[in-house]
Amino acid sequence: MAKQQDWNSLSDAEFRQIFRTWVDENCPMHLRNMRKQRPVFDEVAEWYHALAEKGWLSPVWPQEYGGMGLNAAKHIIYVEEWARLGCPRIPDHGIGLVGPLLIEFGTEAQKAHYLPRILSGQDVWCQGYSEPGAGSDLASLRTAAVRDGDSFIVNGQKIWTTLAHCAKWILLLTRTSRDEKVKQKGITVLLVDLTSPGVTVRPIENLRQEADFCEVFFENVRVPAENLVGEVDKGWNLAKAVLGHERIFLGAPSRPEVALSRLEQLAEARGAFQDPAFVARYARLRLDLYDLGSAFERFARQLRDNGTLGADVSVLKIFCSELYQKITEETLDIAGEEARFLDDLPAGNGHVDAMNLYLDSRALAIFGGSNEIQRTILAKAVLGLPS
Amino acid sequence: MPEIILEDPDGTFAMLRDSVAAFAQRFDGARALRARRGAGKDLDRDIWSAMAEAGWLGLMLPEDLGGTGLGMSEQAILSEALGRALITEPLAQLSVFSGALLAGAEPGEERSRLAEGLISGSLVVSPVWQNTDGGPAAVAATVDAGGVTLSGTAGLVVAAASADVFLVAARANDGLLLVSVPAGSAGLTVSERPTVDGATLAELRFDSCHVAADQVLARGLLGSGLLDDAIQATQLTLAAELAGAGSKALEATVDYTKERVQFGKPIASFQAIQHRLVDMWSAAEFSCAAIVNALERLADEPGKPAALAVLAAKARAGDAAIDITRKAIHLYGAMGFTDECDIGLYMKRAVNLNATLGNPAQLRLQFVALERAA
Repeated sequence: MAKQQDWNSLSDAEFRQIFRTWVDENCPMHLRNMRKQRPVFDEVAEWYHALAEKGWLSPVWPQEYGGMGLNAAKHIIYVEEWARLGCPRIPDHGIGLVGPLLIEFGTEAQKAHYLPRILSGQDVWCQGYSEPGAGSDLASLRTAAVRDGDSFIVNGQKIWTTLAHCAKWILLLTRTSRDEKVKQKGITVLLVDLTSPGVTVRPIENLRQEADFCEVFFENVRVPAENLVGEVDKGWNLAKAVLGHERIFLGAPSRPEVALSRLEQLAEARGAFQDPAFVARYARLRLDLYDLGSAFERFARQLRDNGTLGADVSVLKIFCSELYQKITEETLDIAGEEARFLDDLPAGNGHVDAMNLYLDSRALAIFGGSNEIQRTILAKAVLGLPS
Repeated sequence: MPEIILEDPDGTFAMLRDSVAAFAQRFDGARALRARRGAGKDLDRDIWSAMAEAGWLGLMLPEDLGGTGLGMSEQAILSEALGRALITEPLAQLSVFSGALLAGAEPGEERSRLAEGLISGSLVVSPVWQNTDGGPAAVAATVDAGGVTLSGTAGLVVAAASADVFLVAARANDGLLLVSVPAGSAGLTVSERPTVDGATLAELRFDSCHVAADQVLARGLLGSGLLDDAIQATQLTLAAELAGAGSKALEATVDYTKERVQFGKPIASFQAIQHRLVDMWSAAEFSCAAIVNALERLADEPGKPAALAVLAAKARAGDAAIDITRKAIHLYGAMGFTDECDIGLYMKRAVNLNATLGNPAQLRLQFVALERAA
């Protein structure tokens, strides 16, 4: 791994230039603009290893742990350029979730063991949060961990576990005790090896008939007590603390941007821009996207200036996910009779993956806290509305 | 509540906001609007003079014309604050639009006189350049040795009964002229119609209305971009005023729904209402972000990027203020349907400002046409 320089001392423009140039030269062309939002590890291993070797896999971890140590401004550039060049998403729960959690709350032994394995691609992680009975209401989770000598015995089920079928480890939220008044108490974070006896991973096909999330079953799974992160019963705040400023990226304009360019391509090919009714509908979508860019910049600036973001940032995710849906719906509308086709639609010299995007756009409004949950959070946290 | 966020190293923006807040203590916006409406007037000259004393009327006019020489950002902050306070005298047209025309006019005695009067509040200078349908005014100018003779009609003129001078864009053979026409000139007829927010818009009829040659303030208005610049500055001013009005209407509605108890609970505790309020807040946030973007594009990328950004900002702020105030009326329930409740005045004000210089649907089409033009 190359020695890191102090990226934050560069100007934004310099950093953007350096990062863009290298990524453009090193991200394999056949991996650009993949249809899949969440490719499995093997599909993008080349890219993962290229980043790992360069030392650019982990943008925000401090440099002492092998990260780039980027501040928020530089991190935004990292994400923007990544999206602009059409690079594929890599399995990133180790980088985005487990690493920051261990760096902040892990023991020295845990950090020394797990962090290098994430950076090398040796250990791929997934996130074991949601359960059949605990989705939006995550704190009502029931997967039980019971102390037994030097171990915890885990029983229960997780669901919607993204990429569990290509992961070796899972960051697991478990129930260790129950407080009748406060559900958030009694939750414990464990690091669990998915190859342990008693673990079953069953992929679920999503709406696009791709397996990108799974059910994970735990039947008397023995987890060494040293795999506890933080304290028993006090895991809820740990899980929340690492969300940090990453929430801004759920509202980044890149997805609706791609979708709008596809809509434009299809509209050009089908002569829809000659239809004033279409142009009026298109104009609304175009301006929504333009204004999402302005709103994203409003929060990005807040992040650059203060280093943190408030709860209000989730307004971007609501707007972005709803816009993404509106654009893909319009694309199917102008496809007319052809809207039924599963495969890509011929458009000019290329093709438009109208159905692919339409199906994909259903997800963002649901995951990461559904838009209804987000609105309720905003109502309380920003407008101070009563319960 | 959402507001326009700009770096304010020397405190100018905070000072402008404070001065509007202090002004609103002296002149309650809603009360003034009702009084003006009740009296059937198009402008409250006392308030207008006080606005002049506050230094607001010449904010963007250059210092050599007696103005303050501040920029679009200061104007946006001022107008946002005026929108919040529901101070509805037509500053966007009478100060920003007329000011921009005068700033770009040819130097001369008449221009100096009008600028001075505009800034001091002693002259109400109203722009005349549109027809009632929003298109260009159909006023023809015949130039002869003795001056200019105007014939035709124009519409959408603010404060026409109070105006001392009209700045008329009139079509001559060699392009668009800007002519200063004193109110009460022979051959000029003014007929006002009420607007929804307790003001008026007038149609002006010119029947061989003659003015002296030295009243021609500028020539080739279109080629020089003077008219476009005035429109752009005024659109952004209106966007800021809409953002302020929308944000204040949201704030009032949040307060009201927290106090209004039904079924033993404040109605703001009900999820259906919370989600509507969040959508209103979101609209207000996006308006402010769009305005900041436009201010930055104007500073950094004048030309097409700035023009697009201003169109987007006016469209967004208009849509948002309309949406917020409509929902606000609904959330106030029957109270919202009364004239006594101020929330209705915010909705009416938003309707006026939203329709002025292009509604969102029109502005969006302009944006797309401009962006897609090679």
